[in-house]
Amino acid sequence: MTSTANPPRLAIPGQPLGPASRYRPGPGTHLHNGHLYASLLGHVRITAPARAPGPVKRLTKITPAPAPAELPTIAVLPSSSSLSSSSSSSTGQEGSAEQKQRRREVLPEVGNVVLCRVLRITPRQAVVTILVCGETVLEAEWQGVIRVQDVRATEKDRVKIYESFRPGDIVRAEVISLGDQANYYLSTAKNELGVVLATSETGNTMQPVSWKEMRDPVTGVLELRKVAQPQPQ
Amino acid sequence: MTDRRRINGPPGETIPPFFDDADRTPEAVKGRSRPPNAIRKMFLKTGVTPSASGSAYLEISTSAKPGASGLKLSCSVHGPRSLPRSAPFSPHLVLTTHVKYAPFATRQRRGYLRDSSERDLSVHLETALRGAIIADRWPKSGVDIIVSIIEGDQERETSRSQGDEVWEMMNALSGCITVAAAALADAGIDCVDTVAGGVAALVQDASNSESKPSIVLDPVPSEHEKILAACCIAYLPTRDEVTNLWFRGDLPASDMELYNALVEKGIHASRNANQYVTRPAAHHPCRRWGDDEYEDAA
Repeated sequence: MTSTANPPRLAIPGQPLGPASRYRPGPGTHLHNGHLYASLLGHVRITAPARAPGPVKRLTKITPAPAPAELPTIAVLPSSSSLSSSSSSSTGQEGSAEQKQRRREVLPEVGNVVLCRVLRITPRQAVVTILVCGETVLEAEWQGVIRVQDVRATEKDRVKIYESFRPGDIVRAEVISLGDQANYYLSTAKNELGVVLATSETGNTMQPVSWKEMRDPVTGVLELRKVAQPQPQ
Repeated sequence: MTDRRRINGPPGETIPPFFDDADRTPEAVKGRSRPPNAIRKMFLKTGVTPSASGSAYLEISTSAKPGASGLKLSCSVHGPRSLPRSAPFSPHLVLTTHVKYAPFATRQRRGYLRDSSERDLSVHLETALRGAIIADRWPKSGVDIIVSIIEGDQERETSRSQGDEVWEMMNALSGCITVAAAALADAGIDCVDTVAGGVAALVQDASNSESKPSIVLDPVPSEHEKILAACCIAYLPTRDEVTNLWFRGDLPASDMELYNALVEKGIHASRNANQYVTRPAAHHPCRRWGDDEYEDAA
C-alpha cells in the first residue's frame, strides 16, 4: 500500500490502486480525483486488454493504430478470506473461497438475460420471480413483470398472456428496465427468449414443437406457449 | 403427614449464600493506565454469523482490570435484498441500521424494545456509514445493518449515579462504526473507504477544579474524575473526510481552539481504530498467496 508502482494483491475498501491513466476501472473499484481506489475487500486482478497492443507482425498491411483506451482492467474480486477468519490455507479452502465468490449477489441490470418462474398471470401481464441472472443464481428474490406488449416482437396486438405463459413455467427473458418500485420489466421479444420449461395440465414436462406450441409427450395434447428457440449447448 | 400439594423444601436446613463485596470495592481502579494518546486494545473477527451476508465481532478490553471485559459488539449485515413492496422506487441502496443493547448489557437492565438512546445511536451509525457506502451500485435494494451490544462498557462497582451513560454511548457508537465497517467489507458492499470511529474527551483528573483539563483518546468514564466534553468521530482515512461528528459537553463557546483540538484528537483515535480493521486484512493472506508467487517464479 506504500508503493504506487505496483498495486497490492489484496485490497481493502479505500486502498489506492494506481492512477486512472494506467488502468481501467473494473468491478469492485471506484474513481476519485483521477485515481483508482478499491471499494471491496478482496484480491486484485488485472486483466490484460482483449487484444494485446503488441507490435504489428507484418508491416506490409496498413493497420489502424491501436485505440488509446486499451488499458488493462483492474478489478477487486471479493472472497471469503476476510479479515481474520478462515486462517487455514489448504487447497480445500481455496475451493470454498471460489464457491463463496461465485455465490455473490448480482442485481439484475438492463440488458441481462435472466431465468424466471411465472407466479401469476393477468390479461395484461405475467408476474414472475427472477431466479438466475446471467450465470449467477440469485440469493434474494426479485420480482419482475412481462407486460403483454413485451411478449413478442410481431403482432403485438394479438398477444394473449394465457396463450403465452402459465403459472409455473420457467422463462428466459431480458431485462428492459429497472421498472417501478417492486418489479423489473422483462421482455421475451426475441426468438431465443420465452418459455424453456413447462408442464402440461396433466403434469408432464412438455416438448417444444413450434414457436408457439408445446406438446405433452404422454397424452399428445398441444398447449400454447411463447416458446424459446432451443439453444445449442 | 406432609402437605403433598406443595413443593416442600429439603428436609435438612440450609444457609443461603451471602456475598459480601465490602472488601472488594476498594479495588476499583482510579486513573488511566495507558498514555493519553492511546486507545484500548481491540479484537476484531469477521464472518461470525453464517446466515448473514456479512458479519463481524468486536471486543474492546477494559484497561482498569485485566480480567474484566469492556465493550462487546456483534454486527450482521443482511442484503442487498429486494425492498418491501410498499417502499417507493429508489435508484440507490437503502440503508437501515439497528443498534440494540442486549437486556443484560448494562448495569441498568434494558428493555427488549429499542428505547430513544438506542434509536439515537442507530441514526448516528446510519449517517456515519452513508458517507462511506457507494449506494449507486445497488439500485432498488436494501441493506439491514444490525449491531447488538452484547456487553456495554460499564464498570460494575463504580460510577453508580454519575450520569456516565452519555459518555459510554459515545464509546459504544465508535465501536459500532468500526464493527459495521468490517461487516460491510465482509458482505462485499461497495464502500469508498474503510470507516472507523474514535472518541476524544476533555477530562479533569484531579478532584479540585484548579487543575488544567487535558484531552485524552478513548476515555473510560470510570478512569477519570470528570469528563467535561467528548467528541465521537467517524472518519475515512484515505479520503481524509469526516462522515459523522457528535459533540457533547460543556465548553466555552469562545474557545475555538479547544473544539478544533478535540476534533483533531477524535480523528487520531479513529485512525488508530482503523489500524485494527486494515492490519489483519493486509497481513492475513500472505501464506496463501505465497504459493502463487512460487508458481510465478517457476
